[in-house]
Amino acid sequence: MSRLRALAAFLLLAIAPAFAWLPELTGSGSPVADRWSMNSFAVTWDLNASTGNNVQGSRTVHDVIAASFATWQQAPNTELNVDEGEPSDVSSESASPANINLICFVCTDVDFADNSTLAVTVITTADGPGKPDGHGGVSQFAGQILKADIIFNPHVPFTTDPGGVGEDLQTIATHEIGHFFGLDHSPVVRSIMFPFASDLTTLSYDDVAGIATLYPKGTPDFPSGSIAGRVTFPSGSAVFGAHVFAESTSGRQVLGPNIRKSPIGTLSRPNGSYVIQGLPPDKYTVTAEPLDGPVASSDLNGFPNAYRRSSVDTNFTTHSH
Amino acid sequence: MRRLFALLMLLLTIAASATTVKPLTIEELTIAASVVVEGQAAESWSSWNAQHSLIYTFTRIRVTKTLKGQPSEAVVLKQVGGSASGYTQRVAGVNPMKAGDVSVLFLRPSGANDGTMVIVGLMQGNFRVELEAASGSTVVNNGVGDVHQPTVQGVTQYRGAKMTLRQLETRVQKAAANE
Repeated sequence: MSRLRALAAFLLLAIAPAFAWLPELTGSGSPVADRWSMNSFAVTWDLNASTGNNVQGSRTVHDVIAASFATWQQAPNTELNVDEGEPSDVSSESASPANINLICFVCTDVDFADNSTLAVTVITTADGPGKPDGHGGVSQFAGQILKADIIFNPHVPFTTDPGGVGEDLQTIATHEIGHFFGLDHSPVVRSIMFPFASDLTTLSYDDVAGIATLYPKGTPDFPSGSIAGRVTFPSGSAVFGAHVFAESTSGRQVLGPNIRKSPIGTLSRPNGSYVIQGLPPDKYTVTAEPLDGPVASSDLNGFPNAYRRSSVDTNFTTHSH
Repeated sequence: MRRLFALLMLLLTIAASATTVKPLTIEELTIAASVVVEGQAAESWSSWNAQHSLIYTFTRIRVTKTLKGQPSEAVVLKQVGGSASGYTQRVAGVNPMKAGDVSVLFLRPSGANDGTMVIVGLMQGNFRVELEAASGSTVVNNGVGDVHQPTVQGVTQYRGAKMTLRQLETRVQKAAANE
């Protein structure tokens, strides 16, 4: 197995023009991050509050969904102009109109195949500008999210009460809403976007870095910086798809008590370069490791495909700097 | 990756559940699937459904080996997501297959009864087959490698990890025989 020879990292004070974390990607070769345009049309979430007996608990699904959206909207350095829409009676994903973002507990036309899949979020993006956006206008850019529907598996037991019997609805909803905003799965275990997370309903530093990079606040709550560098093999050739993460060495809780401290990560690109964005002021150790489990590239939405590669490089050893 | 994961798992003490998916063992995948095959994607295409609300990607899989069930020589896989007429749809965890991909697939008939098959457990029932350069072995991985779920009773390890193709075949055939 090859050894990782070099991991050059340096602190950038300005935002670099690259992906901070793991957004969904549109395009091939030079992909762009998927995101909503908050000034093209009003972005809403439209809840069909009907449920089957599979949803139990003292809180309403409306309260849980509203709290889950609020978790993201209250993230530091983030500006998300998303409002609750009119209550919806749409009960089929196939019949979901283009101008609503349906949240549905009774849609039975999504083929979950089994009960191991708890929920899915279907996002629709434009491949370029000028495509009808479903709201009477046209798309502004490639990767613009035009619609996002969240469908909960109607056969899975959910609970709206913390510690209740069934899958914790707020955990699942908060994760899916991350997809709603364009975030892909994260290899950072304490992230809410980790595909196999625990019963966590709060965001981690990694989640905040992702959402704040996609939807930056005009006047930031705190200054942030980036760490950039390049991951190479001993031969000098680039390592593609290395999981590179920055971990604080100070123990300081910079972002407040409701944000769980975690590493903040990204993946290296085809030329081996990486940029970890959204970092609070702190001291960090940077580590590059193979994306070989628990999260692998197949858990991510086509990250290799977006760069026209069949897979990520995993034949190197973990290296910290 | 595993070093960080092991360290962080020690910090998690509350009961856990998956967010998008619940990890399934190979034995559970085998039982849930009506057909388990090794095959290569021959061609794929994407199109909107009749209501123009969902894009599906269809992939014709040329079956090279059957581990469970009695499929025909080729099966058509149906996955949500893909690109059509200037739009792209995505579901996290679903990676539409493309021509040339080689996989071991755990499949069930589509609920639409349209003759197509769907993958069990979102990404979990798709083990990509690759030649590992370092060892020269043919290995498989479904991206759910060594997932540990901390529970109130202790730590459960889901061994859906990267393994050799032969190891996967043996476990599937054993699980199928015990049904």
